[in-house]
Amino acid sequence: MELFLEGAATLVSSPLSIFIFFCGLVGGLLFGAIPGVSMLTLAAIFLPFSGFLSAPDAIMFYSVLYCSGTYGGAVTAILFNIPGAPENAPTAFDGYPMTQKGLAGKAIGAAVLCSAFGGTCSVIFMMLATPLLADIAVTHFGPPEIFSLVFFGIAVASSVGAKTLWKGWLSVLLGLLLATVGLDPVAGEERYTFDLYYLLAGLHFVPVILGFFAVAEVLVQAERRATGSYDMPKFVTSFPSLAEFLKLKFAVARSVGLGFFSGILPGIGATLAAFLSYNEAVRWSKTPENFGKGELEGVVASETANNAATGAAMIPLLALGLPGGALTAMMVGVFQMHDIEPGPLVFTNSSDLVWVVFAAMFFANIAILVLGFVETKGVLHLLRIPFQYLAPGILLMATIGAYATRSQVIDVAVMFAAGILAYFMRRTGYSVPGIVLGLILGKIGEQTFAQGMQMVSYDTYAFVSRPIVAILLIAGISTILTSVYRALKGTRRDIEI
Amino acid sequence: MKTSLKWGAPVVGLVAAMALALPVQADKHGSLPDTMAKPGGFPERPLTMIVPYGPGGGSGQVARGMIQGVKDATGIDITPDYKPGGSGMVGLKTYMAAPADGYTVLEHIDDATSAFAIGKSNIHPAEDLIPLVISQITFSQIYIRANETRFNDWASYVAYVKSQGGKSTIANVAGEGSMERINMNRIADHFGVKVQQISFDKGGPRYAALKGGQVDALFEQPGDVRGFLESGDFKPILTLLKERPPAFPDTPSMTEVGLTFTPLMRFRGFYVHKNAPADRVKYLQWAFQKGFFTDSYQKFNKSKFMDLIPSFRDTDGARVLINETMDIYRQTYKEMGLIQ
Repeated sequence: MELFLEGAATLVSSPLSIFIFFCGLVGGLLFGAIPGVSMLTLAAIFLPFSGFLSAPDAIMFYSVLYCSGTYGGAVTAILFNIPGAPENAPTAFDGYPMTQKGLAGKAIGAAVLCSAFGGTCSVIFMMLATPLLADIAVTHFGPPEIFSLVFFGIAVASSVGAKTLWKGWLSVLLGLLLATVGLDPVAGEERYTFDLYYLLAGLHFVPVILGFFAVAEVLVQAERRATGSYDMPKFVTSFPSLAEFLKLKFAVARSVGLGFFSGILPGIGATLAAFLSYNEAVRWSKTPENFGKGELEGVVASETANNAATGAAMIPLLALGLPGGALTAMMVGVFQMHDIEPGPLVFTNSSDLVWVVFAAMFFANIAILVLGFVETKGVLHLLRIPFQYLAPGILLMATIGAYATRSQVIDVAVMFAAGILAYFMRRTGYSVPGIVLGLILGKIGEQTFAQGMQMVSYDTYAFVSRPIVAILLIAGISTILTSVYRALKGTRRDIEI
Repeated sequence: MKTSLKWGAPVVGLVAAMALALPVQADKHGSLPDTMAKPGGFPERPLTMIVPYGPGGGSGQVARGMIQGVKDATGIDITPDYKPGGSGMVGLKTYMAAPADGYTVLEHIDDATSAFAIGKSNIHPAEDLIPLVISQITFSQIYIRANETRFNDWASYVAYVKSQGGKSTIANVAGEGSMERINMNRIADHFGVKVQQISFDKGGPRYAALKGGQVDALFEQPGDVRGFLESGDFKPILTLLKERPPAFPDTPSMTEVGLTFTPLMRFRGFYVHKNAPADRVKYLQWAFQKGFFTDSYQKFNKSKFMDLIPSFRDTDGARVLINETMDIYRQTYKEMGLIQ
């Protein structure tokens, strides 16, 4: 506690430090909300300037940015079906349908509260046991365990948003197929690149997600408007009640745990945390058929987990010098600019710096709660804009976002192709969330499977007999068999799209 | 990947070039003019540097180091533009599509050379590009956990690998034909052992694999794992240099363990399109070479163990290095049956 107070005192000891704290906070909220120009964009822009700041101020900026940027993308995901970043994509699965039902205030309120709660919990865990947790994570979770975690997640993906189980699985498999575009993770062989060097790096998440969500939504709403079935979203500012949250306490606790756990694993991070948490919410729900149609628990699961992963991602970074994602990788660069090497020695040599980070992230999550609720009242007014003015704005924002991701025109083409594909998938009862889940989980699943099999010299028994692997694989297979059994027996309720 | 290859005669050019490089570096520092007139006002705006890897890795770091060095030496601003993917090919080909006006420069590593040699790229880094400066040349080492109980030095490690019958694992960042894989294959072939080489494309998971005991060893460059070395988590058991560098006096060199091949080095440098105006190229060569000799860049290179091998290569020196490395790769690929 004394160390935490010292860190907090350093944080507020100079006007410059407070200014930088708020720059990171507001910058994350803004850049996180604009698709394509995520918090990573701001982080990269700021990198050359961070050398001019003191080490605590520079590291604090990135820590605060990480917290607020992860939350920032939830607002546009909920209001316009445009996830600000891949980790906000599952938020759109149910957040946007809630907006269409006039429950945008409730969805954003839940996102604010859960982001702050998930983030705060993970910071507290981080303060309590960073070195121990980091050691446990890298010792017990290698590529085989991460693959089985991904498999466990995919096993339930077929039940999200599709009209039938079979269409759900076809959607997931299409996502897995799209995940294979680019260089294979073992030998670096080209797959489905059609001699286009842009595709060597695979399909980028951002344009695909913008196409699936934003472009497809504009097409669907335009069709409804043309056929006279368009309903403008209602403008209601009701926030979720305490009773509603208490009903979801187990979902919140599970999402904190899953998000935190995913964040600790190097190379996993907030995106997978959000997707896995969403899948688990579906798996444990008594009414899984409501997911994808405006279920509050879907927003809660996604936003709690992605913010819980932010604090957790700092654990391998600080304790082992292992960055879990792009932003934490940039933070390694910031540390090194100040002649500090993140890793086991940082707790000995720069413990004051570590506690500034902890304090900054703690207060950033509290500030998200306050700023988020203030911001919500304002941004909800965007829903008053008539569709014919809103749609071109959405398409413009999405186009800029797709292009800004890698400054590649082909990403804009990919976005529109994905939008048209998703439009027809929705019309025919296939699952857009399913294909996105397949794409996101497929990339990491294939890589860790290949690494895992190499580790055991392609001995399948050695692979599956690792205890954690065995438990997760059996659980995943059980989920698949149960859903198939229910489908064959006709007990799985069809979902109207 | 299990391998059993027959290797050709070692190539000696690189060794000679390395030995001669130190006086060249000192001479060049003295001969560079302190100032140079801007040709036609170039540059009138900040330059863009395409970096074909992510911001957190070695390329992202050296790019930022050089950007600061050029800024210190000349006052020119450069904006990094990270374009990762395809083992550096996405950034390389994106660069070739940019206007050849000198306002866009490129950072790249030896992957550009090996990709050309194996036919994955049609851009020759010494012919289609003009090297402005090579600013980092580094060697590789093999690391184990410091608290490893099954082996504790090179001899016991080799004995352990032999006893595993091909099941021993080593983490690296290796596609087929990469610098890492070729070096490792040569070591394995020399000792008559088979090793599972597991590629981790991100540094974090790669180092976590060794730290967590998921793999037996790690193939890496010392600057990238400096934190683990200083914390005492990792321990080098072999240096892929002919002699022990002063920074690693307790680690055997490859000569001491009987390895005779010429190791492939990791090198990182900066380039401009061959069609850029000649006067601008000359100015950029001066700016980047001055940037190398700034205090900020020298301090950065030292922090990455990049002072152990003389890293500086001007345009001519870089061409020699690239072409000799290209010859080694081609010869190796032929022996592996990967090219005709």
